[in-house]
Amino acid sequence: MIGKVDLTQEGVEVKKSACYFCHQNCGVLAYVKDDKVLAIEGDPEFPTNQGGLCCRGNIALKHLDHPDRVNYPLKRVGKRGEGKWEQIPWDQAISEISAKLSSIRKEFGAEAVATAGGTQRTDDWSRRRFMNLFGSPNGFHNSHLCWIPTFMVETAIYGWCPFDLDIGGSKCIVLWGQNPGASGMPEAHHVAELQEKGLKVIVIDPRFTESASKADLWLPLRPGSDLALALAWIHVIIYEGLMDQEFVMEYTEGFEALAEHVVDFSPEWAAERTWLTPEQIRAGAHMYAMNKPGNIQWGTSVDQIGKPAGATMHARALLRALTGNLDCPGADLLTGPSQDYLTDEELEGNQFLPEEQKAKQIGADKFPMVTWPGYSKICELTKKTWGKVPTAEWMCEAHPPSVFRAIINSDPYPVKALLVSATNPLASYGETNVVLEALRKIDFMVVCDYWVTPSAMFADYIMPIAGALERPIITNSYGCADFMLTAQRAIKPMYERRNDFNFWRDLGVALGQEENWPWKTVEEAYFSAIAPIGHAVSTFDEFVENVRFHFPEREYFKYKRQGFATPSGKVELYSSTLKDLGLPPLPEYVGPSENEIDNPELAEKFPLVLTTGGGFMPFHHSEHFQIKDMRFLRHTPFMDINPATAKEMSIEDGDWVWIETARGRMKQRANLTEAIHPKVIFTQRCWWYPEKDMRDFEFGGELGGALESNGNILTSTADDYCDPYSGSWANRGLLCRVYKVKESDLKEVI
Amino acid sequence: MARYAMVMDTRRCIGCHSCTVACKVRNELPTDMVYNPVTTDGPHGTFPNLNMRFLPLLCMHCDNSPCVDACPTGASIQAKNGIVHVEDKKCVGCLSCIMACPYGARYHNHETGAVNKCNFCLDRVEEGLRPHCVETCHQHARIFGDLDDKNSEVSKLISENKAVQLLPELNTDPCVFYIY
Amino acid sequence: MSEKHQSWGWMLAVDFFFAGMGGAMLVIASVIDLFIAPGQVSLLGNLVGPLCMCVGCGFLVLELGRPLQAWRVFMNPKAILTFGAWMMTFAIISGFVYASFAINHSLIFWREWDFLRQLLALVNIVTGLVVATYPGVLLGRHKGRPFWVGPGIMGLFLLSSMVTALALHCLCAMIAPIEASVLNSLPKLLAALLLVQGLLWAGYLWIKATGTTAAESASAKRWISGDLAKGFRIYFLLVGTLVPMIMFLIPVSIFQGLAALMVLFGGVIMRMQTVTSGNDRTFLPGELQYRSRLPQGKEKFLKKAWM
Repeated sequence: MIGKVDLTQEGVEVKKSACYFCHQNCGVLAYVKDDKVLAIEGDPEFPTNQGGLCCRGNIALKHLDHPDRVNYPLKRVGKRGEGKWEQIPWDQAISEISAKLSSIRKEFGAEAVATAGGTQRTDDWSRRRFMNLFGSPNGFHNSHLCWIPTFMVETAIYGWCPFDLDIGGSKCIVLWGQNPGASGMPEAHHVAELQEKGLKVIVIDPRFTESASKADLWLPLRPGSDLALALAWIHVIIYEGLMDQEFVMEYTEGFEALAEHVVDFSPEWAAERTWLTPEQIRAGAHMYAMNKPGNIQWGTSVDQIGKPAGATMHARALLRALTGNLDCPGADLLTGPSQDYLTDEELEGNQFLPEEQKAKQIGADKFPMVTWPGYSKICELTKKTWGKVPTAEWMCEAHPPSVFRAIINSDPYPVKALLVSATNPLASYGETNVVLEALRKIDFMVVCDYWVTPSAMFADYIMPIAGALERPIITNSYGCADFMLTAQRAIKPMYERRNDFNFWRDLGVALGQEENWPWKTVEEAYFSAIAPIGHAVSTFDEFVENVRFHFPEREYFKYKRQGFATPSGKVELYSSTLKDLGLPPLPEYVGPSENEIDNPELAEKFPLVLTTGGGFMPFHHSEHFQIKDMRFLRHTPFMDINPATAKEMSIEDGDWVWIETARGRMKQRANLTEAIHPKVIFTQRCWWYPEKDMRDFEFGGELGGALESNGNILTSTADDYCDPYSGSWANRGLLCRVYKVKESDLKEVI
Repeated sequence: MARYAMVMDTRRCIGCHSCTVACKVRNELPTDMVYNPVTTDGPHGTFPNLNMRFLPLLCMHCDNSPCVDACPTGASIQAKNGIVHVEDKKCVGCLSCIMACPYGARYHNHETGAVNKCNFCLDRVEEGLRPHCVETCHQHARIFGDLDDKNSEVSKLISENKAVQLLPELNTDPCVFYIY
Repeated sequence: MSEKHQSWGWMLAVDFFFAGMGGAMLVIASVIDLFIAPGQVSLLGNLVGPLCMCVGCGFLVLELGRPLQAWRVFMNPKAILTFGAWMMTFAIISGFVYASFAINHSLIFWREWDFLRQLLALVNIVTGLVVATYPGVLLGRHKGRPFWVGPGIMGLFLLSSMVTALALHCLCAMIAPIEASVLNSLPKLLAALLLVQGLLWAGYLWIKATGTTAAESASAKRWISGDLAKGFRIYFLLVGTLVPMIMFLIPVSIFQGLAALMVLFGGVIMRMQTVTSGNDRTFLPGELQYRSRLPQGKEKFLKKAWM
């Protein structure tokens, strides 16, 4: 029994599906009868979730046939933002869209067509394939805020990026700006279990989070000051002789230069910048360096601190190298790309994009690391050592804020069309007001989504996309890990929904790319990906049913056999790759994007430090606000403020308050909590209100409340706020002020 | 006869609300009904010296259950296996049990007029399955089992740790135990 | 949706008021009949007593989530509510038959049977007393409701039932006067009881406010200085107790009639506030914040046809 559903009734099939509400893709068993899902539960045999499901996973059936879902292609019939749609057949939509793209390409060049993506819950290798064949280098995601810069910077230093933690044998884990307690359930339970066996947990987070409350050491640093902390840890590890001498001597290069570089970055130096005491900083460095093997778990926060982001990733990578916590049992593993199956990169067709088009990629001239210049260089190195390269989708993208600005001001050239897939840019991209201006201005926009989001209100076409339970899934961490977890469709997509693969393929076929799209369905494509593993299966479904997972035998110390994928074959503490790209070969100190030391005048006006923060249960990014059972648990947004600070401003718990930066202001409700430093404000991000009128303001609407409580109103994407390595923009470590919303200004948002 | 009980290991609970949602969705509860709230106890202290824990709540299935005593119709009953539940057709919605329950574990269903509550997923337990909230918990913070079986995980956890009941001073003798 | 629907509402308070008052009216009439002035039954007052209990029952039924199933409340002999329901039924029947003795009509052939009348008076006293007392007992046994818990509320409810019953008897006697000297001396007794009522409430709140648990103290604060303070101080204490106390001492009918109405008003207010006070539970750690942040029922998203 699941609820009132009898699972033993005749004709019930069990499908090995997976959750699709974040990219953990936890295993789900779907009980299906007559192509209808009767019930779901967590799959107890799935290695990550072991039967567990979080809030998101549990609502799959509510999501599947939610009354607000987009079920058929919609064509705009009113003005942009007026919210008038006509339902049209899929094929008609494809032919009209392709005709329009074709004419834009003719007039402005292929690069005038850009695509925006969201999280990795798409068949985005097919999006890249389409763009490559179409000839545009201007695809992008929010990936700049999520691991991708980390991957590229770390790969520059030691030839791949650890995504796999060999946590079972670990003695210490650093959760650096990560809160698995709210974001990664499988990880949280592994950590909890190992902690009982003696694993030391260090949490670096300005907030006393779920994870911090369970930690052995919590380091509540000033938001955005991670670099000072990392440099001080390097200083402590080197000057207190805590590094792995043998590893450093044998497998690294540039130690002398690094030692000299960090000589002044003492804990005392860092204390003022991080708001930690020198003792706290030392304690952390000691715990990590003296409990070996250990792990530093990546979290999105460093990717989101803007200006110092790249240098911080750089310094953090050096900590692993100095302690020898690389590719040895219990440490962070450099798996390399899978040698056994086709990676996403091998499906992307990057060979189709002409060199002269690569050169036109927006942002490549400013931010080399995750654009063609850096990506090409990394590919050269990884190809030599690993035989394969990282995915281009995610790792090699146009700079999103620069594309939005190009839409507005045609600099460096006009961008006329935006194909949006699985994202609500108004909620999730930085500087909402810039994004809004771009969406209002764009000539042609197509949105592939589950919902008519505030951003989709500006679309010319909205395409209905298959979601959880309706699509087959391969999970392999952007194609950058060597393992693979798979899942099958529980049911055929309902109504006229299709996989985004079908959108890109159909569009490609309509534009004459058919010969380069050998697979007609996602399953065919996925089968071609898993076929090289060599199981006796003839379809992807069969693979899921009989095999489902692929975990290659783990090989430690691969560097002893093949070296690191760097020019010298060693870990480059002094990075020649970064230097060649015009970046600092050693991590140079950069203050937080906005800070009281470098910007004293700004700090006078905006005396508090802001982080727009990470995920919070039960939602995921800007999603699920229209799932009643989830929304019921958190129906209004809350920002964290220390009670002492709140008192100064006569703010009481639950009051609506404005949070304002130099970019603008938005309102959330005050959660008075000691969990945060008196000078720090934490806001929830990405809020919008699907219950509100979705139309643009000029038509009497409220744009779904997308400008009311949205953390991205506050963030900054200006070039000089962006990380010079990758171009990732600043969501955290900004300056703000906070004040009560006047009764008269409070249009009840709930 | 089994005596069903639940242990909440607050050392493991991370306040993710998965149990809350799993219970609501799988038992098809009305939106406003939350059998399984997870509250945040804290943070206590002053920044940065803090402590905090999460407290998953639900019906305590008390051995000495005030709600059963308060029910004028006999709709609220305690089964032999200890599970306290409501026989829906007998309930008149007088709310006496809601008022009598010291743990706030009973809810008035505005659609049916009756009072509903957690029944440890009685139907599942009778089939040998675990309640949904336990099944969905990634953290293994909720442990369900038979108190009469000295070798069950719940019995062991209770005896090996200082498991406590909530509001013990009320002498309700709950069958939900908390490990702090 | 909101927490307010998750506890007893005003209709139950009104039930407590009418039932308690009706029960106490039976008690008063029967005591006078048996021990003070035999046969001095006031038709109107005696009829109003059981009628009040009927009205109380009506409100109780309306308060139920499933009013049509109300008969089921007689089913669990262990439950205090079931006990109360039976007692109230007996009291109503006994009260009506008892009242019939004052009807001067040949159809009432039993009106000369003094023995039956006295027996019924005895039944009235027992069942009426139970009906007047049991709401207080019911509330006082709620372990998890800090404002109610303990024997004090029982005394306060019984006293209020007596006071309001006396007031209504007075009123009845004014509307349909009988030459009963006993009823004429009631106002003074009433004034005295009102004084006691004022003192007892002050004592009750003081004990709760300085009481054993933080939850009890917090619940009393709502009456002393919180959201229930206005209702308590002005409507109950001033308008419903002290002013009528003085007015009862002035032997002018219109004053006393008005005073009686004010006492009734005070009785309703007190019960409504007491029932409202029961929304406060001894909350578990973090529970109050959790619940206070849940939607209250008016939120726009709840109205959407979402899943």
